[in-house]
Amino acid sequence: MRKRAVGIDLGTTNSLVAVSSEGHPHTLCDHDGHCLVPSVVHYGAEGKITVGAQAVALGALDAANTISSVKRLMGRGAEDIDYDLPYAITPDPEGGMPAIQTAAGQQSPVEVSAEILKVLARRGEEELGGELDGVVITVPAYFDEAQRQATKDAARLAGIKVLRLLSEPTAAAVAYGLDKKQEQTVIIYDLGGGTFDVSLMRLEKGVFKVLATGGDAALGGDDLDRAIMGWIAAEASLQDDPNYETINRLAAVARQAKHALTDADQTTVEFGQWSATLTRDQFNSLVDGLIEQTIKACRRVLRDAGVDASEISDVVMVGGSTRTPRVREKVGEFFQTEVHTEIDPDQVVAVGAALQADVLVGNKYGDDILLLDVIPLSLGIETMGGLIEKIIPRNTTIPVARAQQFTTYKDGQTAMSLHVLQGERELVSDCRSLARFELKGIPPMVAGAAVIEVTFQVDADGLMEVQAKELSTGVASSIVVKPSYGLGDADIEQMIKDSYASAASDKEQRALQESRVEAQRIIEALESALEENGKELLSAEEYETLVSGMRSLQDTIKNDDSDAIRDEAEALNEASLVFAGRRMDTQIKSALTGHTLEEYE
Amino acid sequence: MSLASLNFFEIFSLPASFRVDVSSLEAQYRKLQAKYHPDRFLGAADSERVQALQLASLINDAYETLKSPLKRAAYLLNLNGVDPEEHNQGHLEGSFLIRQMEMREDLENLASEENLVGLDKLKVDTEREKDSVLDQFEYSFNAGELSNSKSLYNQLQFLFKLLEEINRVEEKLLDY
Repeated sequence: MRKRAVGIDLGTTNSLVAVSSEGHPHTLCDHDGHCLVPSVVHYGAEGKITVGAQAVALGALDAANTISSVKRLMGRGAEDIDYDLPYAITPDPEGGMPAIQTAAGQQSPVEVSAEILKVLARRGEEELGGELDGVVITVPAYFDEAQRQATKDAARLAGIKVLRLLSEPTAAAVAYGLDKKQEQTVIIYDLGGGTFDVSLMRLEKGVFKVLATGGDAALGGDDLDRAIMGWIAAEASLQDDPNYETINRLAAVARQAKHALTDADQTTVEFGQWSATLTRDQFNSLVDGLIEQTIKACRRVLRDAGVDASEISDVVMVGGSTRTPRVREKVGEFFQTEVHTEIDPDQVVAVGAALQADVLVGNKYGDDILLLDVIPLSLGIETMGGLIEKIIPRNTTIPVARAQQFTTYKDGQTAMSLHVLQGERELVSDCRSLARFELKGIPPMVAGAAVIEVTFQVDADGLMEVQAKELSTGVASSIVVKPSYGLGDADIEQMIKDSYASAASDKEQRALQESRVEAQRIIEALESALEENGKELLSAEEYETLVSGMRSLQDTIKNDDSDAIRDEAEALNEASLVFAGRRMDTQIKSALTGHTLEEYE
Repeated sequence: MSLASLNFFEIFSLPASFRVDVSSLEAQYRKLQAKYHPDRFLGAADSERVQALQLASLINDAYETLKSPLKRAAYLLNLNGVDPEEHNQGHLEGSFLIRQMEMREDLENLASEENLVGLDKLKVDTEREKDSVLDQFEYSFNAGELSNSKSLYNQLQFLFKLLEEINRVEEKLLDY
C-alpha cells in the first residue's frame, strides 16, 4: 500500500505543507485556496488556540497573546533575543529557551511550533485520507544542533514521525530536479520574511552535497519593509517611539508598497493624512544596502567552498522576498546567470520536502536521490582558559563521528567534566553551549594514566550524541548524552502527557498504538532479514532464539498492555544486534566484491 | 571482515599510494554512501540504523581524508608507523625554518600595509611552493624515505596553514 508522507516547510513567517504523488508534487491549500499558513499562534484566555490567518487577525487586537516568528526563539536563550517582541518572555534560569507568557499560561517555543505543525499535519491527513506515515521537515541550513533538536522536539510533541530534517536549500534543489542534470555547482539564494540563507551545493549523479552555507538569521523581507517604513516615518515626520498598533499599520502599508513595486515603476504610499509617491528607483536605493549584505554572504560562501562565481551553473531563488525585481537583478548580476524563479518561491521548499518524503517513506524506488548535508557550525569542547578546541569543523559532511582522547590531570581523579559547544568563535562565551556533562567512574590512577576517549557523533539530521569510554583499563564505561537545548526528554514527555491529560484514555490508546506500530516494525524488519540470510549467518540455536522471540512478541501485541509490548520489542531488538552486525559485514563484502567484479568484467 | 577494520584506501578499493585517482575515489564514495547512508535504513531495526550511522560516518571520514592531499599524506605516514605530529626539530631543515619566518614576516608586513597586490603575489608563490613540496613528498614517499617524507609533510603543514592565513588577511582587507 502506498504510504502517506508529506513535506513541511516550517517557516519564520509562513509555513506550508506539500504532498507528492507519483513524482507530481503540489502544495495543500485550505478551503479558501490559501496555501500559506502564517506561522502565527494566538492563545485565548479560555485556552483556545488559533493558528494561521485567523491568529493574525486576532493579533491585530491582541498582540500580547499572539506569537509570531517563533522560529527565531527555537533553540535560543533569552539573551539571544536582542530585538523587541510584541509578547512577553521569561528567561529560563538554566539558560534554556525562554517561556512565552500568554493568556493561556506559559508556552515554550517548542509548544508553539508544535501547534503550527499540527495544523499542517492535519491538512496532510485530510488530503491523504489517514494518519501520516512520515514527514520531512525543512530547517535552515545554518540551524545549529539546539535549533534542530528543538524542531524535532516540536514534531514529537505534535505526534509527527519525522523521516528527516532536511535543509531548506537542499529541498529547493530537489524541487527543481537539478539532480537530473550532470555534475554542477549551484547556489540556493533564500531571502524569506525574516531570514537570509545562501547555500552552495554540488550535485552529481544522484548525490546532493551542501558544500558551504552562510547567511544572516536576522535579515529578510521584513527588513525591506522596514526600509520603507523608515522612509515613511522620515517623510511623514512621524514621532519616535510609536506603539505596536501603529507599527503594524505602518508595516502593512510598507509591505503593500513593496508588492506594488514588483510590477509597477512607482506607487502611491498613504499613511493617515500623509501620502507620497515612491518610485522603484527610490525603493532600490533604500534596499541596495540590504541586498549588498546578502551578496557579501554569497561571496563568503563561494570562498568557503573554494569556488569561483563563474563556476555556478544555476541560481535558485527561494522565499517571497526574491520576487523583488532588484533582488533578482543584483543576484543575477553577481553570478552572471539567469536566476530560477519558475516555481513559486514561497512553495519551492515544501515541494522539495514532499518529493523527498515520498522517497524516504519508501514509495519511490529506483532513481531515488541521496542527500548529503554538512554541519553548519563547528562543534568543539571547552579547554583551559575558556577556549574552544574544535572537534568537527563546520561544513564537514554528516553523518560524522570524531573521537578525541583526554587524560586525567590529578592523581586518583575519578570524574571529568566536559562542555560541548557549537560556533566559530575562539571564546566559549561567544559560542552556543550545547551540553555539559560529567564523566564519572573513571578508575583511580596516577595523573595522565587514565585515557578517556570521547566520541562525538552527528547524525544525518545534524543532531549530536556524545559517548565516552575509559580506554586504559580495557573496561569501557560508556555514556550517551543527548543534549536538548532547554528541554530535557522528561520535559517533552511531560508536555506530551499534559496535552493528553484531558483525555487519559486517549493517551493510553496512543501509547498502545505506538508500541504496536514499533513492535510490528521490528518484527517486519527482522522477518525479512532472517529470510534473506538468517540461515547463513546464524547458528541453528541463534536462529531459533530470534524466531521464538518474534513469535512471542506477535502474541503480546494482541494484548492491550503497551508496557509489555514495549519491553518485549526492546528485548528482541537487543537480541538481534549480533545478527545485524553480521548482516552489515556481508553487505560490505558484497559491495566491495561487486566493485572488483565490475572492474575485471 | 568489517568495514571498520579496513584502512581508508581499502574502503575505497584504492592502492595505498599518495597519488589518488579522484574520480574512482568519488565514484566509490557515492556507491558506498548510496548503500550505507542512514536514509536507506529508516525502516530498519534500531541496531541496523545505528550501524548504518557509524558506517556512513566512517565512509565520510575516509573520503575527506583521502581527498585532501595534506590529510592523505599524514594518513599514509601513520599507516607506515610514522607519527606525523611528533615534534622532531632535527628533521626540519634549518633553511626551511628561516624561510618560514621570512614568509610570516612578509605576510605581517603586507597586512599592515594593506598591500593587496603583494598579498596576491605571496599567495601565488606559496601555492607554487606547496605544489612543488607535494611532488617531492610523493617522490620521497614512493622511494620509501619515510623520515624525509615526514619532514616534507611538516613543510606542507606550514604551507597550508600559511595559505589559510593569507586568505584570512585577504578577506579582512577585502571586507568579505
